[in-house]
Amino acid sequence: MLSSTLIRHRRLLVFLTLGVVALAVLTEQVRSPDRRRIGWAGDAVEFVLAPAAMVLSRIGGAVSGAWSVLNEIGTLRTENAHLRAEVGRLREENARLRASEQENARLRTLLGFKEQEPYQTVAVRVVGRDPSDWFSTVLVDRGTLAGIRRNDSAVTSDGLVGHVIEAGLTWSRVLLLPDPRSAVGVLVVRSREAGVVEGQGQPLLRVKYLARDADVQPGDEVVTSGLGPIYPRSLVVGSVVEVSHPSGDMFEEAVVRPSADLSHLEELLIIVGDGAQGAR
Amino acid sequence: MTRLAVYGILAVVSLALEVTWLSVIRPGGAVLDPLLILVVSAGLLRGPEEGAVVGAAAGLLQDVATGVPLGLGMLGNLCAGFSAGLGEGRIYLENVWLPGIAAFAMTMVRNAVWIGAGHLVSLVNVSPGEALRVTALAACYNGVIAIPIFQWLRRLDGMLQRLSERPR
Repeated sequence: MLSSTLIRHRRLLVFLTLGVVALAVLTEQVRSPDRRRIGWAGDAVEFVLAPAAMVLSRIGGAVSGAWSVLNEIGTLRTENAHLRAEVGRLREENARLRASEQENARLRTLLGFKEQEPYQTVAVRVVGRDPSDWFSTVLVDRGTLAGIRRNDSAVTSDGLVGHVIEAGLTWSRVLLLPDPRSAVGVLVVRSREAGVVEGQGQPLLRVKYLARDADVQPGDEVVTSGLGPIYPRSLVVGSVVEVSHPSGDMFEEAVVRPSADLSHLEELLIIVGDGAQGAR
Repeated sequence: MTRLAVYGILAVVSLALEVTWLSVIRPGGAVLDPLLILVVSAGLLRGPEEGAVVGAAAGLLQDVATGVPLGLGMLGNLCAGFSAGLGEGRIYLENVWLPGIAAFAMTMVRNAVWIGAGHLVSLVNVSPGEALRVTALAACYNGVIAIPIFQWLRRLDGMLQRLSERPR
């Protein structure tokens, strides 16, 4: 009797069982502190997928490069003239900066400051992106073999981009700032007000937990505070575009535009050896 | 067994395309999803049970490979594959518009489940208007690409079926 009922409703049982498994996996991910651990299964998938993504990405890059060259030929002559003028100006500026640098070094020696060690970085290339619309991660072409570890910070010349959430031998996945799972401790440079930048699944970020009477204005630059376990201090995150005072709320909030162009990432620098010491 | 292996290879190729080229193109902010077409085709051709299994496996693979929270894509594609298979025996597979309409509807189903589950665990925070806009756009794209992909998959499925039935 029971077995005939099971056979009759087999389709529904398969569906419900798989649905329960999916929900269990999802809620388990949400409850765990780092939200995502894929283990050996993820390594196996990326072992197959990462090389294919790299090949396709290179082909895409070559085609896009060739297309750009064709488009840009016409503008090269004008740009060349502009660049020559720019080189002259930069040479002059460089000479002035050299003099300032020497003066700076002399003054530092006088004051007994220790020169801050520059970050050790690994350059990586973006070979894949998360195709979903409301999460933001990128796949890059180097991993633990290059010294990259979980929780290392990722930057471009414009500022902070995110941090590594998974690292395989030859690939890593970087969680970008706009992802809803991303949270970064920050300071407003001008007023030294502290807050937490959180992703919204949209291009703009939200700074939460600012003191109710915090001195924050549109245009203020926001940098990492270095207080959390992941990000080193003083990396540029972005600039404030809007400040809000939710009524009845204990905190002030601000909207921040990231300084790095997160929708057109091609190359990144991963700061190695300066990320989290724990939780790897 | 051979069919599952072929489906596996097609899933990996679709995913590689999604994370590289298709995620960059994004016309109007929506991404084409050939993996969903594979899931919908499995449901249409093989019924709800195989649609559900292929959907769950492809969704989990997508979650692992794309960095979204595990389980979201699995749940969404499971519902899409199962729902697509419910028409088994009642729909006319020769109809040239069928895969387009099915892919359109199943993209809506998948994204509704995906966004609903994401909201449930506080991971997706998107306005209903934006969600509807992106979903409708993605559904249109998937509906268009589903027509040739389904015909090709159907021929491939028939070929694999004949291969497995051939006397040894």
